[in-house]
Amino acid sequence: MSWLTPDYLMNWSIIAYLAAAIAAVIFYGRPHLCTLLAQSGCIIASVLGAASAFSMLLTGREKLIISQLETSIPFISIDLTLDALSAFFILILSILVCCVSIYSFGYIKHYHGKRNVSAFHILYIGFILSMFFVFSAGNAVFFFISWEIMTVISYFLVVFESEQDGNEKAGLIYIVMTHIGAAFLMIAFMIMFVFTRSFDIFGSSDAIPDFAKNLMFIFFLIGFGVKAGVVPVHIWLPYAHPAAPSNVSALMSGIMIKTAIYGLIRFVLCYLNIQDTWWGILILCIGILSAVLGVAYALMEHDIKRLLAFHSVENIGIILIGLGISFVAFAQNNGFLGSLALAASLLHTFNHTLFKGGLFLGAGSIQYAAHTRDIEKLGGLIKKMPVTAVLVLCFSLAISAIVPFNGFVSEWLTYQSLFTVIVPGQTGINIISILSIAALAMSGALAAACFVKLFGISFLGKARSEYALSANEVPASMNVGMGILAAFCLTIGIFPMFFLKLIDKVVFNISGIIVTGELQGGFLMAWYPVSVSGNSITPSAIFIASAIILICAAAVIRLIGGKASNRKYGTWDCGFGELTPRMQYTATGFTKPLRIVLRILYRPGRALKTEEGDSSYFPVSQKYSVWTEPVFEKYVYGPVLTNVKKFSLRVKLSVQTGSTHAYLVYIFITVLALMLYNRLT
Amino acid sequence: MINITYLIVQIIVVIAIAPLVNGIIKKIKALSQKRKGAPILQLYYDLYKLLKKDTVVSDTTSWIFKAAPYIVFTSSLVAAMLVPVTTMLDPIWLAGDLILMVYLLALGRFFMMLAGLDAASTFGGMGASREAMISSLIEPSILVSLITVGLTAGSTSSYQIMEYMKYVDTPLIRPVYFMAFIALFIVTIAETARIPVDDPSTHLELTMVHEAMLLEYSGRGLALMELGASIKQLTFITLLANIFIPHDQLILISGVGAVVLSVLIYVIKIVFISILIAVAEVSTVKLRLFSIPNIAALAFILSFIGFMQYFVLGR
Repeated sequence: MSWLTPDYLMNWSIIAYLAAAIAAVIFYGRPHLCTLLAQSGCIIASVLGAASAFSMLLTGREKLIISQLETSIPFISIDLTLDALSAFFILILSILVCCVSIYSFGYIKHYHGKRNVSAFHILYIGFILSMFFVFSAGNAVFFFISWEIMTVISYFLVVFESEQDGNEKAGLIYIVMTHIGAAFLMIAFMIMFVFTRSFDIFGSSDAIPDFAKNLMFIFFLIGFGVKAGVVPVHIWLPYAHPAAPSNVSALMSGIMIKTAIYGLIRFVLCYLNIQDTWWGILILCIGILSAVLGVAYALMEHDIKRLLAFHSVENIGIILIGLGISFVAFAQNNGFLGSLALAASLLHTFNHTLFKGGLFLGAGSIQYAAHTRDIEKLGGLIKKMPVTAVLVLCFSLAISAIVPFNGFVSEWLTYQSLFTVIVPGQTGINIISILSIAALAMSGALAAACFVKLFGISFLGKARSEYALSANEVPASMNVGMGILAAFCLTIGIFPMFFLKLIDKVVFNISGIIVTGELQGGFLMAWYPVSVSGNSITPSAIFIASAIILICAAAVIRLIGGKASNRKYGTWDCGFGELTPRMQYTATGFTKPLRIVLRILYRPGRALKTEEGDSSYFPVSQKYSVWTEPVFEKYVYGPVLTNVKKFSLRVKLSVQTGSTHAYLVYIFITVLALMLYNRLT
Repeated sequence: MINITYLIVQIIVVIAIAPLVNGIIKKIKALSQKRKGAPILQLYYDLYKLLKKDTVVSDTTSWIFKAAPYIVFTSSLVAAMLVPVTTMLDPIWLAGDLILMVYLLALGRFFMMLAGLDAASTFGGMGASREAMISSLIEPSILVSLITVGLTAGSTSSYQIMEYMKYVDTPLIRPVYFMAFIALFIVTIAETARIPVDDPSTHLELTMVHEAMLLEYSGRGLALMELGASIKQLTFITLLANIFIPHDQLILISGVGAVVLSVLIYVIKIVFISILIAVAEVSTVKLRLFSIPNIAALAFILSFIGFMQYFVLGR
């Protein structure tokens, strides 16, 4: 059975990715064949990768070294090491890649003959491989190199459709923000090396003094926070996600921002160990802010992909709430609660990968069929694209944490962790926890509102433009890719225990505590209730009860009312004649009550422009516009940017003058200072 | 087996009593206005008649519009199953989790809002949009107050909470429970579309929220929507009644007599809470839509103060 071992499968998976990339290069001139080979290669590779990660999790091995290739450059080695945590993240990466690649068969068709498909595939595969290496890196240098490659390749993918307005600006914001983050990470790794003389991720951090650990925590938080897109460093997400091709946005939002969650768990929880409760509380605060503000800003967006990008901010917030509780509990030496909250946040990470990946693919399908991402121009798509509609509805329910889907299970676990952390007597933690509960509740309801808007305005009602009228169902492969993700969402929602057992292995590896109790064996365990210290839910029972009630209700109604006779008729128009699509509610109108209630967040404005004709009573045209301000960009980043520019200008005028003489003086002073320093120490 | 029998009994009791609550509230309102009012059983007649009638469906609608009534009805009924009505049985499968209940109701609301948008009518969109706002504002108060009560009992299961509350001596004189009760009462009014948040008796576009979403429905679809709404209302009233006014008949005893007795006591409590709601409806006026955040804030602050009193400042 040697061919079933994780390392063997993992090696073949990497080879398959490389083979796919080579195939993409060779068949440069034949786009159809190129797509076929590259994407099938990715599917095979991801299935192998998933199998490897799955068997790694099942065998429960603590650590597995895949390869350690030393290079001639000191400290740089290709060091691939797996443990349960890496295996878990590789598993979700592989599942998403498999679905996205199936989807890409159809989606890439609209590039054929227009763009360099081969280049796209090479970037796509490189992006996946770099994330693969991020998750399996065994030392900090290799981690950082993979991290940077991931950032750079994703930058190229963001600007892939660079001829479109705003995409270059999006790429610029993205790369600047992530590099600020990367700088902090680099400093943290340097501190790590200064005290331990080693870059080993799995090593011990005992040699690092407390103040340096606190410093490292802050740097990791900023560094990974930028990548995760937490408030207030989230501004790159709503630019970069819409700019990238949809299958790439699905990968970016589904898994790339999760590398930051992986980093936080790997470096803060596993490597540094938790020092103080304030680490967890800080993460909780960021989580609350991201969860509420993310969804609140999503509500005001009418570009589907921008809206989804803001929802990523929200969901990262929810993941961080779980992670924060876990950090607090580990700091208090409450191992069980720490493990529970960690399991909750890992499950939400998995769930978010599934439904957000699916939603971005859905947005891609809409763009593919209707050639627009503007909700206001859509409408009535459910009749043109019935399958896509059902799938998008599933993902919308899942992301709104509505019951038979997976989002609810992980949010329920997060609620239970918050419930368990509250103990009479402690002040700060109690207040922040109850506020987290309120934030979770509010973000759930706002997310539901937002997805009612997304689905209701774009799929229901009447077509609002030619775009929506001319839409047709997308190729089957795109729906198959999304369908697999939707099936996962529903399965986790109804039988969560099977997946929780997998996550349990990861948590056990970190904390040594099993959350879900002893393995009960067999496939039946999926029917067991999810239970936390006496509180439990049994989604499968709820599902069955609902099905029974549904059938009974239909039967009883049939019994009383007899056979239904439906009469088709126009929508009630108050007797004024035909309703036009322009009379429907718009996305702007739908969110108006919330825009007014939460105006402090949006600072909305409106203007009516009238062009007067001969008489002021008969204007030639009138234009009414509504807008909301990008608050963070205007009031936080704007002033910072202006000041940085001013400072740079001053430096340019006084220090960096461009005069050779001045530079010679600088060099002289530097050399002198170095010599003095050397002399004195 | 006995669990399932009781569960079925509970479903039947809930379906049978739910429309009665509407009748009682309407009757009290009518009496307070010196009117005779419709008979208490009017909603039963209405529902029966609606089930017999043909339906008219807008030609712009999709399958969402047809499925929504069934989903709304089922989700409310399953949510009602999670709250013990008259018996305290050890729940195995349906463990009565209150968080689950809230999110089950969210499923119904989600489809109701979608159905409002499906017919491409302005009324439906307006109702959905307002419902989205109200539910977003009221949701934190529901969970904070329920979880505060749950924390004192050490569980989020409605069964465990009610079991615990039996041993609390007159809960309503304790600040934490009093605050939670008022907060949940406001939540109930908002969730069941009553004055001052919504007006169930008008069809004026300036004021309606819930009714606007149902405007396109007729026949059995309307019947299911109405019944679902009244079951949801009963669920919230049951929570208020059985948590804050616990009674000893919520016990595990067999025999028809005990069941009848506990149903009777339950009905009395329900009538009492219904009277409270009717009084609240009669003595207030419908608020402007943009004053609803104030009510929601009031509910949230009350539940938060309740929490603070118990868990931060000490008992």
